[in-house]
Amino acid sequence: MEAQKEAQRIMTLSVWKMYNSRLQRGGLRLHRSLQLSLVMRSAREVYLSAKLEEDEEGRLGPQPGLGEEGAGQTPLPPAACPGPLAPEERAAPADRGNAPAAGDPEPMETQDSGGDLPPATPAPGAGRRPARGGSLPPPGKGSRKRRSSSLDKPGAAEAGLVPTKKARLEAEEEEGERQPQGQDGPFPSLAKVLQTRFSGMLRGGPAKGPEPTPGCRPGDGVLSILVRAVVAF
Amino acid sequence: MAGVAGGGGGGGGNDFQWCFSQVKGAIDEDVAEADIISTVEFNYSGDLLATGDKGGRVVIFQREQENKSRPHSRGEYNVYSTFQSHEPEFDYLKSLEIEEKINKIRWLPQQNAAHFLLSTNDKTIKLWKISERDKRAEGYNLKDEDGRLRDPFRITSLRVPILKPMDLMVEASPRRIFANAHTYHINSISVNSDHETYLSADDLRINLWHLEITDRSFNIVDIKPANMEELTEVITAAEFHPHHCNVFVYSSSKGTIRLCDMRSSALCDRHSKFFEEPEDPSSRSFFSEIISSISDVKFSHSGRYMMTRDYLSVKVWDLNMENRPVETYQVHEYLRSKLCSLYENDCIFDKFECCWNGSDR
Repeated sequence: MEAQKEAQRIMTLSVWKMYNSRLQRGGLRLHRSLQLSLVMRSAREVYLSAKLEEDEEGRLGPQPGLGEEGAGQTPLPPAACPGPLAPEERAAPADRGNAPAAGDPEPMETQDSGGDLPPATPAPGAGRRPARGGSLPPPGKGSRKRRSSSLDKPGAAEAGLVPTKKARLEAEEEEGERQPQGQDGPFPSLAKVLQTRFSGMLRGGPAKGPEPTPGCRPGDGVLSILVRAVVAF
Repeated sequence: MAGVAGGGGGGGGNDFQWCFSQVKGAIDEDVAEADIISTVEFNYSGDLLATGDKGGRVVIFQREQENKSRPHSRGEYNVYSTFQSHEPEFDYLKSLEIEEKINKIRWLPQQNAAHFLLSTNDKTIKLWKISERDKRAEGYNLKDEDGRLRDPFRITSLRVPILKPMDLMVEASPRRIFANAHTYHINSISVNSDHETYLSADDLRINLWHLEITDRSFNIVDIKPANMEELTEVITAAEFHPHHCNVFVYSSSKGTIRLCDMRSSALCDRHSKFFEEPEDPSSRSFFSEIISSISDVKFSHSGRYMMTRDYLSVKVWDLNMENRPVETYQVHEYLRSKLCSLYENDCIFDKFECCWNGSDR
């Protein structure tokens, strides 16, 4: 639990730093963004494994509908059982409140997580919400509490999401379609903002200014990791 | 604020005691952002010390001739020249402000009375000439002493202007501007031993320049992946070998160093040597990757060794041995347990430099 909390804290901190680094003079620093995303990834892995252990302990029986994850992922029971754990894990600040709406079947999430997270991160931004700096939640807020399946991104991402992402790069409209059950709440928007902002990076250009719309920033590759991580929230 | 440390040999045996011999700048807490020093570099003889700050200025200190009555004390450094090297710029295409902070200064070997140095910010490198003027001509025929033109019809005799001494004036003038070659932020420059070329490195690319040619450069290393999502490491520092003008090294954020030979191919993406120390699995933490990033690499004067600096340690590598360093020094190992706090206050991202003393000890 401690490890999980610590990991959660570090993830929030990282996202906050990433967001702030956009605002600094001189533009986004590629190296710094990369380092932040690496920390985020480590924290997320720890968080995931800690959550996994905990869920296994807490679980009474395997949930159905699991295992839609992408190749090579440990089937994530947590993915399917936000139920029992959800209440206690939902951090007070309600942002994530929507996740529970994920009461909307886990299976669906899991499934979507394949398609949804990475696109979600990018996606959230795309169709529904114009990326807006203002909508970003203050750091430290927030339940990063999200379906762990989403946290599985790294593998799943490679498997199913990369093409998705590329598609996203080429055509933002596609994101809109892929739009999952609207993640609302600040974190999705955070994800969206970061996503759209960095989408330019993926196109390979360096950064643009502080507008909410796609900026090309040198922090590219990290985007994918960052995106996935952020989506996890 | 600058601290100039002088070595005091104290104690017996190999014990060195280091103490500040001079401190330049403001000691109080209230320092303007623009005055924060971002880089320092001695010239080859050590007589000149150049500092660059966040405001784009370069201040050069010169060591005074040693006082005959106190032969053992090192000469003091006093301000020799100050000039504005870089100004903030705005990249309209990318809506990005380009900081004027000086990232690196490198001196060129001295070839005549003037001194030359390269200074760089995130995007542009400039070659500056610093020269002294201690004489001026007086007695022009067509000008008065105060500069006004004389009426040619009133000149009845000719005279030869003579040189008269004047107060020493140090002038800095930009001789070359090397711009528009880097997409990412420049982190290193290094003058080659041939004294004709130099390299500049940003996060993903290294370019080779000729000191006389400003409108083009050659790209010699490019580690940008085709798909930026696959980016895993960036270049953090690069340096030419002190004697072999075809050899250079560059360090990465993953804690590796690659040595490249420009004779092997035009694009040196394939290294000739690869230096990496296997990671100690017992010391893994959230921040392992950040602290293993190498922030500086320097060849020894002999060219046989190189020194690298990561967050917590300094390592000395023998160029002939790629699988581990020959020496490792923990600089502030006590910080290892505080990495989380350092991450919170951003200190974990600080970049340290390292350098050899004159005799490579």
